Amino acid sequence: MANTFKVTVNGGPELAVDATEGTLLEALEKHQLEMHYHCRSGFCGACRSTLKSGKVRYTTEPLAYVRKGDILPCCCVPESDLDIDH
Amino acid sequence: MSYSTFNQEQNNPLTEPMFLGNSVNVARYDQQKHSIFEKLIEKQISFFWRPEEIDVSRDRIDFNKLTASEKHVFISNLKYQTLLDSIQGRSPNIALLPIVSLPELETWIETWSFFETIHSRSYTHILRNLFSDPSEVFEDIVINEQIKIRANDISKYYDDLIFYTQLLQTHGEGDVVVEGKTHTVTQREIKKKLFLCINSVNALEAIRFYVSFACTFAFAERELMEGNAKIIKLIARDENVHLTSTQHILNLWQYGEDDPEMKEIAEELRDDAYEIFMTAVKQEKQWAHYLFKDGSMIGLNESMLCQYVEYIANLRMQAIGFDAPFENQRSNPLPWMNKYLVSDNVQVAPQESEITSYLVGQIDSEVNASDLGDFDL
Repeated sequence: MANTFKVTVNGGPELAVDATEGTLLEALEKHQLEMHYHCRSGFCGACRSTLKSGKVRYTTEPLAYVRKGDILPCCCVPESDLDIDH
Repeated sequence: MSYSTFNQEQNNPLTEPMFLGNSVNVARYDQQKHSIFEKLIEKQISFFWRPEEIDVSRDRIDFNKLTASEKHVFISNLKYQTLLDSIQGRSPNIALLPIVSLPELETWIETWSFFETIHSRSYTHILRNLFSDPSEVFEDIVINEQIKIRANDISKYYDDLIFYTQLLQTHGEGDVVVEGKTHTVTQREIKKKLFLCINSVNALEAIRFYVSFACTFAFAERELMEGNAKIIKLIARDENVHLTSTQHILNLWQYGEDDPEMKEIAEELRDDAYEIFMTAVKQEKQWAHYLFKDGSMIGLNESMLCQYVEYIANLRMQAIGFDAPFENQRSNPLPWMNKYLVSDNVQVAPQESEITSYLVGQIDSEVNASDLGDFDL
């Protein structure tokens, strides 16, 4: 299970996310979290979240401005365990 | 200082600021200071659509079934959308092109404005279908007090920037007397006006448009006015790209990734930028009150729309470095909005009617007498 990482959202419980199965946004939705989103393809920035620790990899290059410390879950997958605020 | 359509001065666009440096001469994109703007151009062009491709003929039947208060919501909303795109179809060109200094940004501004003109034409397409003579609706846009308040607040920042740019480009820096009034024109003063203008446009693209989208999609949620909703869905997708561009400009300034003087101005005028946003929020809530003055509709009322304004304001303000001002409104009061805002450029199941790219021009609206052959009275 080298591709499964532990993701914490808003200080909640650790959730298991498989980086080979869809984007981080999709994975968190599967865990029944209410996610903010519009375009789901990286150009609107509505899913913008704060990355407190960890590393992500973009599967599509985001067109929205990604401010320092932010990530766009709609177009990335985890590369390590993550702690994010959404 | 006067504007030249082909600035003969040899300059290096890689070292120019986005605005108020040398005017652009060669439209070249082989080297780019901020390549994001060309990526936005490509994205935007890939979304090209024409209003005529979307069949709105069923909407007339739906419209006649609406109650008087619902008709008020629908038409007022359309008037407001017409106003927003009337402004946006010209203003970025008139206000920003005379002062832009990067070829990729210049072309982005032209692309952006061009798409707003598609939106404007689509409102006529919708209204022509609903009324044999839509003049009354269009004429009310410059009479209706509620719309005029908004029009004034949106256009004043553009107008101010345009006027001062004209003074700078005809008189240069210094005091200029126009109709008995002295205007102190400096490059820095114009940069301040530019900063406020971009913040106002950003608020327009970020909040004002979304209030109108919510009204449109509330009808579609009840399977009413769906042709109109298909058009607005395409408009919303475009507006999302436009919003990204204004957020980029503001963030590039703020982070000092462009003009250092603009970084200073962004800090100096941070409170004004915040106020512009909050004023837009307040006005949109007043607009919600006006829309629902005669009664609400199934699925949407004044308070839900106001909650949505706060929700969306939180997201948008965080995107440009402010704290979310409405802590109590962190969850989406209109979750169905999102399904209309998803960009469906990845076509998963084209037979599904929700996919705009498949639906364009695909509805068969022809009815023959033979289709009604087995009807009995």
